[in-house]
Parts: sequence; C-alpha cells; structure tokens
Amino acid sequence: MSTATQEYQAVFAGKTRAQLDEILTRYPAKQAALLPALWLVQRERGWISDRSMTEVAEVLGLTPAYVKGVVTFYTMYHQHPVGKNFVQVCTTSPCNICGAEGVVRALLEHTGAKDLGATSPDGQWTVIEVECLGACGFATPVLINDDFIESVTPEKVPELVRKYR
Amino acid sequence: MPDGLINLTVDGVPVSVAPGTLVIEAAKQAGVLVPHYCYHPGLPVAGVCRMCLVEIEKAPKLQIACATPVTEGMIVRTQSSQAKDARQSVLEFLLINHPLDCPICDQAGECELQDFVFQEGRAGTRYAEYPKRFNPVEDFGPDVLYVANRCILCTRCVRFMEDVAQEPVLNVSERGDRAYIGIHPDARLDHPWAGNVVDLCPVGSLLSKDFLHKARAWELDKSASVCTGCTQGCNVTLDVRDNVIVRVRPRPNLEVNRYFICDHGRMSYRWMNRGDRIEAPLVKQDGELRAVDWDEALDRARALLRGTRGRRGRGGAAVAIVSPKASTEALFLARRVLAGKEREHEWTGAFQVTMGEEAPLAGVPNLALRPERAPNVKGAELLGYTNGVSSALRVAQTAAVVLVLDEPDVPAHGAGALIYLGVTLPESARGADIVLPIANVAEEEGTFVNRDGRVQRYFPAKPAPGMARPAWWALGELLEAPDRPGSAAEAFDLLAGTVDAFAGLSYAALGVTGKGIGQGAGVPA
Amino acid sequence: MGYPHKPHPRETVVLSKHFGDPEARTYKGWVRRGGYEALKNALATDPAAIIEEVKTSGVRGRGGAGFPTGLKWSFMPKEKTKPHYLCVNADESEPGTFKDREIMRWTPHALLEGTAIAAHAIRAEVTYIYVRGEFTEPLAILEKALAEASTAGVFGNMKIYLHRGAGAYICGEETAMMNSIEGKRGNPRIKPPFPAAAGVFGMPTTINNVETLVAVPHILKNGAAWYKGLSLSNPKSTGTKLFSVCGHLAKPGNYEVTMGFPLKDLLYELGGGMRPGRTLKACIPGGSSVPILNREESESCLLDYEGCVEKGTMLGSGGVIVFDDSTDMVYQIMRLARFYAHESCAQCTQCREGTAWTTRILERILTGQGAMKDLDLLLDLADNMTGKTICVLSDSCAAPVVSGIKKFKSEFEAYITGKKRPVAA
Repeated sequence: MSTATQEYQAVFAGKTRAQLDEILTRYPAKQAALLPALWLVQRERGWISDRSMTEVAEVLGLTPAYVKGVVTFYTMYHQHPVGKNFVQVCTTSPCNICGAEGVVRALLEHTGAKDLGATSPDGQWTVIEVECLGACGFATPVLINDDFIESVTPEKVPELVRKYR
Repeated sequence: MPDGLINLTVDGVPVSVAPGTLVIEAAKQAGVLVPHYCYHPGLPVAGVCRMCLVEIEKAPKLQIACATPVTEGMIVRTQSSQAKDARQSVLEFLLINHPLDCPICDQAGECELQDFVFQEGRAGTRYAEYPKRFNPVEDFGPDVLYVANRCILCTRCVRFMEDVAQEPVLNVSERGDRAYIGIHPDARLDHPWAGNVVDLCPVGSLLSKDFLHKARAWELDKSASVCTGCTQGCNVTLDVRDNVIVRVRPRPNLEVNRYFICDHGRMSYRWMNRGDRIEAPLVKQDGELRAVDWDEALDRARALLRGTRGRRGRGGAAVAIVSPKASTEALFLARRVLAGKEREHEWTGAFQVTMGEEAPLAGVPNLALRPERAPNVKGAELLGYTNGVSSALRVAQTAAVVLVLDEPDVPAHGAGALIYLGVTLPESARGADIVLPIANVAEEEGTFVNRDGRVQRYFPAKPAPGMARPAWWALGELLEAPDRPGSAAEAFDLLAGTVDAFAGLSYAALGVTGKGIGQGAGVPA
Repeated sequence: MGYPHKPHPRETVVLSKHFGDPEARTYKGWVRRGGYEALKNALATDPAAIIEEVKTSGVRGRGGAGFPTGLKWSFMPKEKTKPHYLCVNADESEPGTFKDREIMRWTPHALLEGTAIAAHAIRAEVTYIYVRGEFTEPLAILEKALAEASTAGVFGNMKIYLHRGAGAYICGEETAMMNSIEGKRGNPRIKPPFPAAAGVFGMPTTINNVETLVAVPHILKNGAAWYKGLSLSNPKSTGTKLFSVCGHLAKPGNYEVTMGFPLKDLLYELGGGMRPGRTLKACIPGGSSVPILNREESESCLLDYEGCVEKGTMLGSGGVIVFDDSTDMVYQIMRLARFYAHESCAQCTQCREGTAWTTRILERILTGQGAMKDLDLLLDLADNMTGKTICVLSDSCAAPVVSGIKKFKSEFEAYITGKKRPVAA
C-alpha cells in the first residue's frame, strides 16, 4: 500500500505525454481523447485512481467529476488495483450453455482468487465474469490481460494458469 | 390566426404556436400539463425519463412531448389509453427503487413524483419482496445534500452544472439500475449558483441543508418578491411559515433570471425575520426618545419640516441619506418631502452601497450576482441620489434637516434636525428628533429598478411588527394633505407622472414580472 | 489460432474467402490477391456514381437494422459546407455474433479498403474505426494493416484512425458510439437530429458496420447486378451474409451463405447438426436481441430480412444461437435479461429499471419462489419496455422474454409449481 505522503507522479510525462499529444491530433476536440488517455493511464498504472482521473481532467481541460462519470460507464477501466493477471471470462448465454460457469469455477480455484472480483493473496490473479466477449463460436473465450484465449474448458484451466503464473 | 404560427390541437384544444415549439410547451399553452421529470425549460433537452410520452396522430408509436417539435395540423392526445398506460408504467418503474419515505422527506407536498403517482399511478406495487437499491446520503456541498435512494436519475442537476453553470462537478456514475449522481471525491458542489439544483430536483433527492426539516410544503405561504441581494433584480418567491420567511426560491422571469437565483440571494433572507425591530414611532422629548402614536409623530415631523423650510435660504439645505434597498416609491417620496412639488427647495440626496465580488451564471447571458449588493441602486440614481455619501455628509453638517431612510451605517447627524425612518434603531439614530418605524421588503409592496432599468414589483409576505408601516406611507403622510398617496400604486403612479425616466409606466401594468423604463430617458436634472 | 473450418461447398465464399490465410493480412499479400484495386478505381469515380451503384446492389446494413446502405450514404449533405465523418462500427458485442471479429482478424485490409471507398463516397475527410475494447487481437492486426497501407499511400489525404472502446455493449448503437468517440458516456442520443445532419462532433456522419463495408469493394468490382443476383428468396435481401453459429452445435463457426439460405441447412449441414443424441430445441437467428424461434420455426426459416420477419423474429446481426434439448430455457432467458440489465446505459427509466426488474423476477422463478402471476407481470413489463425508449436495448431485453414465455411456458411453470428443482441464480 502506498503511503499518504507519497508524491503523485504524473502519468503524462515523457513518452506517454508524447503519445497523448499524437492522439490529440486525431480529434477536433480535446475531450475526444478521453478514452485513449484513460487507456494510457491503465497501461501505465494498472488501474485508474481518483488522482489519475484528476490528472486526465487537467490534461484534457475537463473536470474530475466528468472523467469519473465516463470511467464508471466503461467496464474495462479498473477503478481499483487488480491482480497482475486480470482474467475476464465470458458467461453470457452462448458460452453459458457450453459450460462457461465451469470454467469460472476452475479459474477461481486454480488461481487462488477464490471469489469473483477478489485478488488472490499473492496478488497475481483477479478473475471476473464478463458479458459476451464476442467469440461465441469459440466457447469459452477468456481474456487474460490482453491475450484473447478461445475454447477454454475446465480441463484446460490448470495448464493455462501455469503458463501465466 | 397570425401568420407564421403552427396550428395544432392538444386534447382537442386548438392552439397556435411559433415554429420550433416543443409539444410539451404547446400543450402548456393549451392548458395541458404533460407530466414530466427530465424536461425543464431552462435546461437542454435530455429525453430520458420517458414520462411525457404522448400519442400523436399518424406517428407509429408514442412520442416524447419534450423533444418533439410541433408540426402543422398535429393532433396530440395526452389522455389516450396508450399514453396513460405508458406514463403509469414509468411511474411504476420509478417507484420500484424509491424509498417512499414521504413522511420524512422535505419534498413531500411539492414532489412531482408524489403528485403524478397520486394523479395517475398504480394503486399498489407489483415489485414485491425485492430489496430496493440503497446508497448512502452524500454531502455534496455547502448547502446541498444528495439522498441517492430517492433519485430518479432525471439528470436535471447534472445538466444544470454542465450546461448552465458550466462547471460540471456532478456526473451520472455507473450504469443500469446501479447508476447514481456522482461527484468526484475531491470536488464540492460549491458553485455560487449551485443551490439551483435543489429547486430543479423534481423529487427529494437534492436537499437544501438550510431548509432541512424546517417546514412541510403545505404549511408555506408564498409571495412574489424581488431579491434584494444585488442589482440584478432576480424574481423570487418568499416562502413563509407562521410569519417567518423560511426559504427563498427563484420565480421564473425570462427577461431577468430565467429560472435561477444565486446562493447569495437565496441565503439573504434571515434579516427579514429580525426580532429587534422598532415597533412604534418615537419622538424626542427632554432629550429622550419616547414612543407616541403615528398622528403625533407625523404632526411633529410635518411641523419640523415646515419650520426648516424658512431657514433654507440661509444655507439651511435639506439632505436625504437613503438605503438603496428602499422602494422606488419611498425614494421618490423622500425627495418630494424635502424638495417639494416643483423642486423649489434646495436638497441633496445620496446613498452608499456595499460591494462584493461578481459571480456570473455562465450559461445565461446577462445574469450574475452583481458587485453592488442592493436591489435599487438604479432607482436611487434615476431619482437624483448620488452614489457615495461623503459630500452629502459635508452638507449635512450645516443642513437644516437631515432625513435618513433606513441607512443605519451612516452617521448623518449635523447641526439641524434629524428624521430617521428605519426598521431598527441603530446607534446613529439615537440622537434623532423623530424616528418612524417602517416595514421591510417582506412586509410591504413596492418596486425596485434593476441595473437594466427594469421596474419590478414585490409583494408583502408577512405583516410588519407593531405599528411599523411601509416607508412610502410614512413619507407620503409628510406631504401636504391633497398630495398624499393612498397606496403604493398611487405613489408609483405619482412618480411616473412626475419623473421623466418613468414616464408611460403604470403600477398595474408592471404585473408580476416588471417592465423596462423607456430607453434613452435621462436622469432627471 | 487458425480458422476452424474449410469452406463448406454450400457456402458462397466472398467475404470469407481469405479467412485462415495469414498472408492476406499483409499489405503485399492483400494486393497480390487483388486487394485495393476497387479502391483505386473508386477514387477515380464520382462519389455520386458509387452511391448509385451501392444503392442498386441492394446491400443492407449488416449490423442489425438492415437499412439500405446506399440510401444511408445518400442522406449525407449534397452541398459540402462542413467536414464529413465516417464511423466504422467494429464494436461487435451482440451475444451470438462474432463475424466482424473474424473479418478483422483475417482480412483487415478488406475492411480498410471498404472503409476508404465509403469515406470517398460520402466525402469524409476523417474516419474512426470503433473497435470494441475486448478485441485485443483484431485491434493489433488492424493497427499493423493500417500502418502498412498508410505507408503505401493508398488512402491519399483521407485520415483513418482506430478508436478503442472500453467495455460497453451499448456503444454498438450508432449514436452512443458517436458519444463514445467524443469522450463521453456511451449514451444513445435522441433522433432527430440524424447522424447525416449532425453526427460525431456535430458534423454530418455516416456509421457503417464492418461486414457492410467489406462487401462494398466486391460490389464495385463485380457490379451491382452481380450482387443483386445473390438472393435465394426475397429480392429485397441481396448478397452474402456471414452467419455466426454458436451454442449447442457440432461445428460452431462463421458460415457465409447467400441471402435466403434455409436456417435448417445452416444448422444441420454446414454446422454439423446437433451433438450426438441431442435434438434442436430453440434458436435465436439474429443475435440475442431478437425473438427466439422454436424447433419448427427454425427448421422452416429462410435466412433473409423478410424470411425472419415472417417467423416473427429478425435477421439482426446474423448471430445464430442454438439451444438443444438439454437447455434450461428459463435459465438462459434470465441470463440474457441479466446481460441487458448489465449493459443498460441508465438513461431511460423503462430500460434502467425494467431490465433489472425483469432479471430479478426470472431469478426468483429459478429459485422456486415464483408465482404464476409473475409470467403475466413479465409480459406486461416487456410491453412497457418495448417501443418507448431512446434506443432498442430495452426492447431487446423484452424480446427473448416474450418469445420465451410464449414458446416455452411449460418450463417456467415447472419451476413455479415445484415440478422442477430450483437452481441458484
């Protein structure tokens, strides 16, 4: 846990700032760079803190409250720190009937995360259920960080977990 | 019918409106209130509550009246079974997560959810046995509490802060039925106009801490008034319970304040309830002020004034130090008392005004809390009073008579006589020859002239204490008998007939939203 | 991660011709396969002529609504006084649908080519391709393809940018997508104004689905008449369509067939039929937002816009979800309702409250606490959620509930009467 006395380090400095500056050239309005800017924050920090939202607001000429309203709309932005491996399992109907709930149970067990949304004691794993990953023909799709893995079954879970541990 | 208007019928009532008018506004003109929550004429259209669904002939499905512009020959039905069913279902959906804690809710009695459910909601709930959404009460700002559980997500508050105040400190957070009105943890709802979100909230979700549990809506008497907080002249309603002002709310006036007032004005009402009032006329006797009745006090004052007039030629001038919070009628009569009908007597008039910071409402042109914190600076200037009292005070040193109209902070006493009219008896008035108790703005009727020259009436909200009377009456009584006005209206009409700047105006024609004085009419010489 | 099947002889392989061919992903490989020729010709053609050709082809939007593409393009202002925008809807999120993902994974240049032609036709200077946030792989592939093609200079002065979503089904709704691009919550907008008048950044905008745009180069190359001829049933439905087939099926995957193809053949021949020992119970032919078909309806349904309407459902996005006789329909309908409750943007009252309430009632029925009157209540709520909101998310939640109760009522009753053991929901 960070201490209250720690100084906030700006996300948008150096290379990341340069990336944002390039992104800003794509849109006629600064505000339009909000989603990309939040992606950059998440890439750099792993999640988007209230303080980071304030920084994004300052950089894009918005208010922190506005930024927070947007962050809470999109489910892929983390409002809390998550495990090193963030696992999203599709459990919507097409995957559900193909056994997605079994995949979730296997992942919770083998990663040690135990509960949905909780992070395993070693800080390695957070597993959540998500709605439709858009790969229904390849049930069950699992997104581990940015890796999109198709056709996962409970049997394949131990091997998968080993690969990322 | 005039050209260029669109003709339509709403529930069979024909109405003609300007092109571009929304069905919901056209319905108002036809005398039909289409129930609604998210729509507010002072905010951009959101179209989200879906309460104002109406049937429009030839449209394939129900349309929201708040976002549909009128078209020629349109036939709108708000009471068709389809429209009524749709509204009833919206009410049902709104209630499933609503706590129904009306008995402890400040909004009860003036709640649009309560009203419309009573009017056309279902008798019972079908949302059995499920827990309701719960979120804790949040402290949004200096005067605003957010009771999330009562919120119906109409987003009026969010749109006000975003588009009108242009300081988006509120947001809609999360999605679906988890959504609530959010604020960034480091931000406060402390914009100088933030209090409007409480008025805009159609339910008891955004509450004023100042008004919290102070009164039930049905106990309140309402009077039209004009805010005394600055020279903007925002139209307000004074809410009174048991002769105590408990709340000030904006009264719509598209020309002045649209639907809004600032927090400074909203909170500037406690002085109207002061208890340390002068309740009887006082006259000096043996060096002491002694309570007398009005007849005696007025006789003494008239005699005093007559006596001083003879001395004026020898430099015995008359000076009026007035409050810019006084009515135009009182200001006019104070001048008349000293200067006479044809202004044959020498007189000097002045006032001072407290200054503060300007606080504009960004989204509304020409609307701000103005630096001059008094309502009738323009009226005083039009009547020949000077802004700044220092030279008047020099004259007062040797003046035959000084008349002070409710200005406690200027020590105006010189060598001559002092007549003081006030709501309270300040230290500066203890040496007065005559003290006349007057009503405050909440206790009388009259007019103020705002900074743009708009003359606006205010109305009494509660009785004046004791023997206190309106200043226009007390001053009028000091004139010669045939000239004395019998009412504020007569006082104003006398003014309009005398002072060029007010020419053409009449008290009755001012109505409740006022009229502008003629452009280009100069300050009378 | 190869493409799972070789084309079936009954497929009409046009858009999916290069699926599974990694070389087609590269600029050089794409050009070698005849790519970017249509674009080159298009850039030398008057935009109005292109719009006319696309109109004649009869191609309709493949995102779900089926609006004629050429007509949509023709709504853009004739007199150009403001910048025009093109938004490409690559936010494929409709449960049961995974065709656009496959197009982007295997033929990114096909999308870029179709995009550039459309941008030229509507005279858009700037294009945003809105890729759903979860599509990490298609995004990376598109990024690479875009860089290669830009370097090769095939887009001239046009600007094409990728814009990544961040987890919101509703951003697939075109006005929500425009808000999302503008850096706002993905709330659908009230129409009018329509996008062609005031779209993204308030400027004239056209939004097209990935599959629609990928068809355009083929239409220009082979002619509108050729495309129009691709129709097995109703002449108002033309061309080929990728159907994503998933659920209880031997061979799930994307199959490209001519409009009007029998759903029965798609399931039993191309998709390999049911798993051993299982029979078809129900099918949702157009993504989760359309009414469910029972077995008889499924086996007689022709896959085009009109054929689906005839069976009381819709072609939608072409996401075919197959349920066999092992399926607990009550549970799956609850699961779909939960999806919509999760994705509701929270604007409209009926949707915000109705999707969640519907889900709760279904959950209660599953846990054995339901009552018969709950079914009437569900239908009444569904009625109140249909045709009354800004967008159709709320209607989409109602569709499977209404059709589900109508066609599988006995399964609901079994939970309510206690004939079936309660399940955790």
